[in-house]
Amino acid sequence: MITLDGSAGEGGGQILRTALALSAVTNTPVRVEQIRAGRARPGLMRQHLRAVESAAAVCGADVVGAELSSTTLEFRPGPVEHGDWKIDIGSAGSTTLVLQTLVPILLHAAAPSSLVLSGGTHNPAAPPVPFLDAVYAPLLGRMGATLDLELERPGFYPAGGGRLHARLTPGRLEPLELLSRGGDVTLSFEAIVSGISASIANRELFVLARELGTDRGAGRIMEVKDPRGPGNAVWARLDFPNGAEVVSAVGEKGVRAEVVARGVVNEVRALLAHDVPVGEHTADQLLLLCALAGGGRYRTVAPSLHTTTNADVIRRFLPVDIRFVDDGPTWVVEVGAQG
Amino acid sequence: MTRRPTHILGFYGTQLDAGLRPDRWERWRPTVSLFQHDDLQVDRLDLLVPPRWEKRAEGLIADIHQLSPDTVVVAHPFLAPDPWDFEDVYAELDDLVQRLDFRPDDVDHYVHLTTGTHVAQICLFLLCESRQIPGRLIQTGPATRGPGPTWSIVDLELSRYDRLAARFKARREAAQGVLRSGIPTLNPGFAALVERLERVATASRAPILLQGPTGSGKTRLARRIHDLKRSGRLASGNLVELNCATLRGDQAMSALFGHVRGAFTGAAADRAGLLRAADKGVLFLDEIGELGLDEQAMLLRALEDKRFLPVGADKEVSSDFQLVAGTHRDLHASVAEGRFREDLLARIDLWTFHLPGLAARKEDVAPNLDWELERISEELGRRVRMNREARDRYLGWATGPDATWRGSFRDLHASVVRMATLADGGRIDRAIVDDELVRLTPHAGPDRAQRVLGARAASLDRFDRVQLDDVLAVCAAARTLSEAGRTLFAASRAERTSVNDADRLRKYLARFDLSFDDTRAARA
Repeated sequence: MITLDGSAGEGGGQILRTALALSAVTNTPVRVEQIRAGRARPGLMRQHLRAVESAAAVCGADVVGAELSSTTLEFRPGPVEHGDWKIDIGSAGSTTLVLQTLVPILLHAAAPSSLVLSGGTHNPAAPPVPFLDAVYAPLLGRMGATLDLELERPGFYPAGGGRLHARLTPGRLEPLELLSRGGDVTLSFEAIVSGISASIANRELFVLARELGTDRGAGRIMEVKDPRGPGNAVWARLDFPNGAEVVSAVGEKGVRAEVVARGVVNEVRALLAHDVPVGEHTADQLLLLCALAGGGRYRTVAPSLHTTTNADVIRRFLPVDIRFVDDGPTWVVEVGAQG
Repeated sequence: MTRRPTHILGFYGTQLDAGLRPDRWERWRPTVSLFQHDDLQVDRLDLLVPPRWEKRAEGLIADIHQLSPDTVVVAHPFLAPDPWDFEDVYAELDDLVQRLDFRPDDVDHYVHLTTGTHVAQICLFLLCESRQIPGRLIQTGPATRGPGPTWSIVDLELSRYDRLAARFKARREAAQGVLRSGIPTLNPGFAALVERLERVATASRAPILLQGPTGSGKTRLARRIHDLKRSGRLASGNLVELNCATLRGDQAMSALFGHVRGAFTGAAADRAGLLRAADKGVLFLDEIGELGLDEQAMLLRALEDKRFLPVGADKEVSSDFQLVAGTHRDLHASVAEGRFREDLLARIDLWTFHLPGLAARKEDVAPNLDWELERISEELGRRVRMNREARDRYLGWATGPDATWRGSFRDLHASVVRMATLADGGRIDRAIVDDELVRLTPHAGPDRAQRVLGARAASLDRFDRVQLDDVLAVCAAARTLSEAGRTLFAASRAERTSVNDADRLRKYLARFDLSFDDTRAARA
């Protein structure tokens, strides 16, 4: 059994999710202690419990300590099973975080799986569905697996009620090399509104177009039909010859549309400043995929605490070398077989 | 999965939970908010729905289902005829509670207190507190400064709240320290003495002797001893108090030990006497040193055998009492002078407590001042207060070198009574305190000799002046020359060496060219 200190590094839910995925993939029992010990409300919260329960479901795991506020969890996985999984997150919790926990596991099943996840689809501090669609799924595709996503209905805090369909066809992952964008970037913007005025989206897109120097035609507004609750998100999509990136922000009650859009602008500018094909959040996810593939190299921004924490967890489960190489204003992440 | 399920019982809030329009999500809805917390997972909600709200409650349930698809929501019609009538609501809730399946061993039950009428909230509280509902109270609140709505458990165990616990502790300590056992003291020595006294009183039935200056609180302590014995079921009888200095002659025997009818002239009926009145209780004999030798002998027998002979009786009676004796005298000196029986002293001297007077416990002036103010307020039936300035002034003087407190607590008591009597509207102010301090200060103004003699007083020897001062004080208090004489020469009168006290006093005054009428000027 591998024992992890859940309060190390980033010290939040990421350690737990990565540990669950790797435990199931490597069929190694794991014990996580001090879960979220430094947080205002330590221990497992609802969304973490859902991640544990879902992961346990797809690999038939025995679990001890899966309770609210529990700070210690033992997870003993069984064989990964393909199938049709229905996962209700509840409380507008993020469906995408759970999906990113399950995808690496179900990659190791013998046959394709389909998932229906309900809850939040555009949450703060979680990858929104457009990111998974435009960045994550294509990267998986290039490495050898197929992830098809269909957003049936978006869900926002506080009402939730979103529904996301995913179909994953496993394949043997191949190492990935992604060191440059390979050419010019095409920018496009999108905003979604649910149950609130489309003028919010208009104002956000206006700010993006003005600040990032593209014409108004680059923006698209999605209005949710039959909304289940109020909500808004805006994102910029960067398309370039070697791939894509998505930078997003979720609207919040009491925060002006211009302020929401400004956050996206700043992050896009930081990405455009250098030839970086992989943004901060993508770097995080790609690290796990490369480790599972047994190798990979990619250029990204300075590694976040999330990423280095992820690396520490991966090293405990897999025989890989992970190096973060400072290459001037950018960084190169190198994942290779040990030895 | 080993997780314990969470069940919540609560009302559909007809005000706060209502709403079917899209903007309902912008508002805080208490019951909905139960499902919006990352650290609260509800497996079942029993929702009490008043009549005519079923349709809207269905909308609420749909919203809950969207937020928390796993939660089972069970709607119960709540049919109390009048939701503001206590009896209706309690009866309806009680019926419901009987029907619901509470399994506190396996399930965490909560009662949501934020919705429903106030009457409903009170009923839910009562049902929880009486454990009819084996759950805890949960309350929800809207987002204030934080990121989202709030929830919290209302724990009815008050000691679990740090600040409340600290408050209770402070109150306990105040009760133990300042108002220790109803004896106000901040003096550690006295507090220790009281504690020792309490231990003895609760552990032993042997006589207790309280030795201390007049007014040092002997009576108060005797009452405390009786209270302690009563509360500890060590005594079931009464507290009987007697100041032995008030007893004279035959009356003393009879008052203490009782008499039978016809025992002496005027004994028209049987009299039980104080010893028997104190049977199974506490007998407090203050100034026991003033008790006559015959009575001392009888008391000794009553203490040793719990039996004694009432005056004129030919049969002994019994009384089992706890003796508390008080004295301001040094009884060992009295024994040497032949005024107190050695064997009785040996019997009552087992536990002797020496009480310091107020002058030796000046830190106790403040708590006793408060205590006296409380007491006088009770007696007068109106609140008597001292303003800050007056209190500071009084305490400043009372704890300073000018205050002798010769009458100890009795003086303090008298002083407070005087001030309270003069206080307009119950407020003792600076002017009243200043007047009182003049009264309390022995030489603050012209003394009696000076008032009567004027400038001539300066030519008197100190020796004579002190004597004259006391004589004048007695004259001032007496109605007639003869009365003043009887008081001044009481000792020689008892020995019959002086037959005309009035004449003796008149001659004394004449030495200063004073008549009895002149002494009236010495009255305050």
